Amino acid sequence: MPRHFEIELDQLRTNIIKMGSLVDEQIDLATMALIESNTEKARFVIERDKKADEFDNLIDAQCERIFALTQPVATDLRLIMAALKINHELERMGDIAVNIAERAISLQYHLELLRRSRVIEMSSIAREMVKRAIDSFVNNDPELAREILPKDDLVDNLNKTIFNFLVSEMKSDPSIIEPAAHIIVLSRHLERLADHATNISEEVVYLVDAKIVKHHAEQ
Amino acid sequence: MQETDIDEKITKAPLVAETKRQPEQIMDIKVSAKNVEAFFGKSKALHGISLDVPTNNVVAIIGPSGCGKSTFLRCLNRMHEVAGGSRKGTIMLDGESIDNYDPVVLRRRVGMVFQKPNPFPTMSIFDNVAAGLRLNGMGKKKKAIEEIVERSLKQAALLDEVKDILDRSGTSLSGGQQQRLCIARALAVDPEVILMDEPASALDPIATAKIEELIQELKKNYTIVIVTHNMQQAARVSDQTAFFYLGQLIEFDVTDRLFTSPQKKQTEDYITGRFG
Repeated sequence: MPRHFEIELDQLRTNIIKMGSLVDEQIDLATMALIESNTEKARFVIERDKKADEFDNLIDAQCERIFALTQPVATDLRLIMAALKINHELERMGDIAVNIAERAISLQYHLELLRRSRVIEMSSIAREMVKRAIDSFVNNDPELAREILPKDDLVDNLNKTIFNFLVSEMKSDPSIIEPAAHIIVLSRHLERLADHATNISEEVVYLVDAKIVKHHAEQ
Repeated sequence: MQETDIDEKITKAPLVAETKRQPEQIMDIKVSAKNVEAFFGKSKALHGISLDVPTNNVVAIIGPSGCGKSTFLRCLNRMHEVAGGSRKGTIMLDGESIDNYDPVVLRRRVGMVFQKPNPFPTMSIFDNVAAGLRLNGMGKKKKAIEEIVERSLKQAALLDEVKDILDRSGTSLSGGQQQRLCIARALAVDPEVILMDEPASALDPIATAKIEELIQELKKNYTIVIVTHNMQQAARVSDQTAFFYLGQLIEFDVTDRLFTSPQKKQTEDYITGRFG
């Protein structure tokens, strides 16, 4: 018979996985809303964000309870510390999905500029990073988590490229200033999304291997 | 404040992690056990334990009942042999084998505090602390005894509570006070090492907290080895922790590391409560 404590840890993991799936789906829907100029999907994402917020509160309370009542150590301690941090990252990612959805509404008539700016390409890399980061937690897979880390540089570089491209476009055609400004903000959101996926991956390495890799601590 | 001043302060401030004791640091070794085996008759209770206790550190020994942790503790001041057991392997105190010491002299240098407070029931609080001194031939030096009793009670964080009732029976004190009285009694003969065998297991949380606080104070002057069933207590009070299982030393590491990322699966399973 599993111990009561293990049941609590399983419930915590399950809630993180559920929240991860929700946030992953929110990001997918928000980017689809962007690519398809689908304002209905965008509004659905905005409305559904409160579910992610509910998970955030639930997971925080669960962690607090386990800390207070069981004084966990070793793997259990690392799981709860990682859960707290991953929860925070997921909540922020949920907010970014909302930000992307809001931009999708603002940019619904500017699909061509979106494509030319490479922001859709950037969204596809960031989404893949998010999916893999969540998978690495679900499967306790630090190798997969480590594979995600270098991809963050790719997204950072794309963010700079997109910024430079749009500034140049705005100079030559001031009529696109408003949509271009939206895309610059969107690009920044995607860059942050990749950062959060990176942070989750670093937590998975800490959780499984007990090694701190954030801020290049392992080098 | 100028920004450069702030930068300098930040650069010079030690990182928290740097202030923790690390095993890689070279430390003076007070007690060194090498390949220690202990027997009860033909039955082997310890299987080749090797472990160094650094000076002015607290080493906690944890493990399930019957794993040999108390036996090991009793080997360190030769109590195990006196109680009918036998031992192989070497135990050094300041680089000299404890087998070269007369057991009485050794126990003066290596004091012990037991699980259950055991003040001498017919003696006053004062006499309980003075007992060891009188046994050591200080019976006629009344002034010196008074000074040592006062100092020992103070070191054991008990003086303020008993200074006006020193002639009362030691057993009139609460359990936590009795345990601190026993610690004062151990300190009176000026030991260098203090062995504690579950010193707080019979005490309530407040008395336990006082003992734990006391351990932190005592380690400034003494080297302490503590056996405890309470893993949170081991984590709170010790610099290094040893995990014993079935008479073997499974893992010995800096306490921070042992409780956050143990290297052996048996340690992990034990401290997370998955067996034992």
